[in-house]
Amino acid sequence: MGGVTDLHLSGVSKSFGDVAALRDVSLEVADGEFFTLVGPSGCGKTTTLRAIAGFETLDAGDVRFGDREMSGVAPEDRDVGVVFQNYALFPHMTVTENVGYGLRFRETPGGQSREERVGDLLELVDLAGFGERDPDELSGGQRQRVALARALAPGPDVLLLDEPMSALDARLRQSLRTQVKRIQSDLGITTVYVTHDQEEALAVSDRVAVMNDGRVEQVGTPEDVYRSPETRFVAEFLGDNNVFEGEVRDGDVVVAGTAFRVEGADASAGSPAGDPALAPDVSEGSVAFCVRPEHLELGPGSNSFEATVEAVEFLGESFRVHLDWDGREVVLRESERPTTDRVRVGFDPEDAHVIAGGRAGKAVEPSR
Amino acid sequence: MRGADKSRASDLRVTTTRGAGGWLERRALAVLGAATAVVLAVVFYYPVLTVFADAVRVGGEWTPEIVREVITDPFYFGVLAPIFGGDFAQVGDVAANTPLGLFGFTAYQAALSTIASVLLGVPGAYVLSRYDFPGRRTIRSLTILPFVLPSIMVAIGFVAFFGSNGPLNDLLALVGLGPVNLLFTLEAIVVAHAFYNAPLVARVTTAAWESVDARMVETARSLGANPWRAFRDVLAPQLLPAILTGALLTFVFTFMSFPIVLALGGFQLATVEVWIYSLVQQLDYAEAATLAVVETVLSLVLTYAYLRYEARQAGANRAANPPARKRLLPDDPTPTAALERAAVGVYALVVAVVFVGPLVSMVAESLTGPQGFTLQYYEFLVERQATGADFQTKPGLAVRNSLLFGAATLLVALPMGVTISVLTTRGGRGSRLADAAAMAPLAVSGVVVGLGMLRGLVFGVEVGDHRVQIAGVTAIVAAHAVAAYPFVVRNVSPLLSGLDRSMVESARALGATRARALLDVELPLVASGVAAGAAFAFAISIGEFDSTVILATGSSSYTMPVAVERYIGNRTLGPATAMGTVLLGVTSLSFVVIDRLGGRWEA
Repeated sequence: MGGVTDLHLSGVSKSFGDVAALRDVSLEVADGEFFTLVGPSGCGKTTTLRAIAGFETLDAGDVRFGDREMSGVAPEDRDVGVVFQNYALFPHMTVTENVGYGLRFRETPGGQSREERVGDLLELVDLAGFGERDPDELSGGQRQRVALARALAPGPDVLLLDEPMSALDARLRQSLRTQVKRIQSDLGITTVYVTHDQEEALAVSDRVAVMNDGRVEQVGTPEDVYRSPETRFVAEFLGDNNVFEGEVRDGDVVVAGTAFRVEGADASAGSPAGDPALAPDVSEGSVAFCVRPEHLELGPGSNSFEATVEAVEFLGESFRVHLDWDGREVVLRESERPTTDRVRVGFDPEDAHVIAGGRAGKAVEPSR
Repeated sequence: MRGADKSRASDLRVTTTRGAGGWLERRALAVLGAATAVVLAVVFYYPVLTVFADAVRVGGEWTPEIVREVITDPFYFGVLAPIFGGDFAQVGDVAANTPLGLFGFTAYQAALSTIASVLLGVPGAYVLSRYDFPGRRTIRSLTILPFVLPSIMVAIGFVAFFGSNGPLNDLLALVGLGPVNLLFTLEAIVVAHAFYNAPLVARVTTAAWESVDARMVETARSLGANPWRAFRDVLAPQLLPAILTGALLTFVFTFMSFPIVLALGGFQLATVEVWIYSLVQQLDYAEAATLAVVETVLSLVLTYAYLRYEARQAGANRAANPPARKRLLPDDPTPTAALERAAVGVYALVVAVVFVGPLVSMVAESLTGPQGFTLQYYEFLVERQATGADFQTKPGLAVRNSLLFGAATLLVALPMGVTISVLTTRGGRGSRLADAAAMAPLAVSGVVVGLGMLRGLVFGVEVGDHRVQIAGVTAIVAAHAVAAYPFVVRNVSPLLSGLDRSMVESARALGATRARALLDVELPLVASGVAAGAAFAFAISIGEFDSTVILATGSSSYTMPVAVERYIGNRTLGPATAMGTVLLGVTSLSFVVIDRLGGRWEA
């Protein structure tokens, strides 16, 4: 214990009544990794976390910590630290008693006394001197840090964070997530973080798993999943995106009669993700590709189409422009407000990313 | 990375060998659950099934004969009896003589009692939820009193109140009316039942009224509804379920009511329950058992209907934003407001007479002899204790027994109730089944449980070559525990299910076993509910009459309520009311404890 802990989920399924919460979920989390599960509410991310913690009995599949098989192992025997969305601090105990609770069941490390251990952890989360307070005398951010200290006190192998920021205001979330990330990387503790906030997921994670409807859509570094979404769902869930569907013809992609040069749409160009096994089959027939709003540019050019300006939102550092292109919704970002109602919009072929074949509006099945 | 930080941080991560709980601790909940199931099976399900078996077995042979005899007997089922028997020619005859039968009369008095309780209770809910006045909270919390007041004591209070020399006739004489003799009349039973159940209706309805969202009424008004329409269209539909809940419960309770009918109606106005008791006294167990079976089936159906209805209503609305309360004495009342206040005043007077009258009468009667004020009845109690023969009922022994049984009941009912609460608040299909099985004792009368225990465990059961027999005292405690633990569950469960489950999960992730998490986290957080449940359990035991009177027959394990009943037989009410006053003292004490601990009973 306390050594290398990598985490494996293979073929995990779980239903609640008729509702399938997890469908054949497999994940690998490396030792010391900050791994984030992100997705819309109801996608199964919290159930996955609860499966790791041992709070749910699985219908199928198994969870391993290193080579320790976890099925049938009670939560109290898993050496996990959990921080819940509402922190779940024990209201009848002081901060010190809360943080020290887990030490009742485990010896403190290095011959430390319980008091020393609790003191160290409160210092770690910048709450030294708050030990005698009751939880209801603390602010939301302070409670969140007490919950973190409490989860870390027994020296867990795995840290599980279930939307720990979602009850806090935006400014506090940013400073706290930086602090959580710093503590995590200092401790080098394997961490699974659940959030519905894609910006948060991209900001703090070593790797991200995007989940939808009980399945894992894609796993990768934040840059990977943002820049090279493998499914339409991932493309649209992470940040603003424009997805176009068309036909491959002579190496171009034809959308609504307009031909576009799209990198990777040419069959000979190979896989955009670099892995031929994962390459979408785009040599013929239909194809979908996406272009981020910041990669669409106003002005004449070869790879372009004409659209009508529907609405303009001022975001501070830029404008978000909503366009209508023959019934298709298109969003772009510009530093200046467009001056005409009809605009010409284009993009660099390298900034377009091929998702996968198929014209269906629904997310494409993940290839694994 | 920061070097110093990093090394200290790695120290923080080093762990440890675990010291988690042993085998028993890990399975503590399962063990407690199994133990509870065994206790329930032995002291509730087995005795009740014994009664059922008595009804369909004669000399070791299964036979429907006794049941058939009972349901085709016009004495029991009135006009329904010939219909059940297929003898339609008899219907006219029976309708002329005994149209209702015993069961019909029982249902009839329960229906009347329910109507009276609703009529007396709903205005109370209106006053409590819509007016603000000093003492409102106290009165609101006093509405739990019926659950704590021993029914035989209430009955004796009404006997004193309605008696020909009682305060009611004195009051009527003051305004030039009377005298009326209400003793051994249906009216007396109905009023006494209202005393018991109107507060229940008021309590349930007040809770609903207080959780009404004032904005709904305001929305209706803004859409053009006048105050009356807004009440009818928006408020009434929200109150009706609560009133119905209270009415259904009242019907179940009054259908099975025993001591009140026994004391105020006697055998002339017997209900099923009283008749069963009289059959047991005559040692006619088979017929008693058959009646008990039919009664139990009926009350189980009613209780099931109630639980289904309650479950449908549960969690319907929790948005508590009630309209502001009115002042009882406005500075400058409009004529309507003045009229309404006058009505409230009349209602308050009725409430005072119905609720305070009997208790005051009981105490007054215990202090009044033929020559006015006297302590002779209390002296009688003391003397009986000092010099009474063994076969006589000694008050001191009754007090001692009551307190002892109360404490023992607490020791059994508390862990049982908490265990059932924990196991049933986990949710899921299994827990709902467990909930129903565990709550069934609420629907089975104490007389039936007492009868079952007497016939089964107290008379003895053959297990293999051994004759298993439990003492009457053990049986009494067991019966009290069966009557009491649902009150523990009802106090603990709502608090427990209100706890965030992540609280327990956090404790478990930190290394606590399930039982440990219960002890360290859940129980401290629901302590007020546990304490209130304990006080209820104790009070229920102190006041329990139905099964005790059967199990204590001919033994010295009688309790205070049984002693009250035994003293009734004498020429004067003095000793019975004196004993009742002692009982009132002990019961008030437990009520004070409940109130201090913030007892809650919302159903």
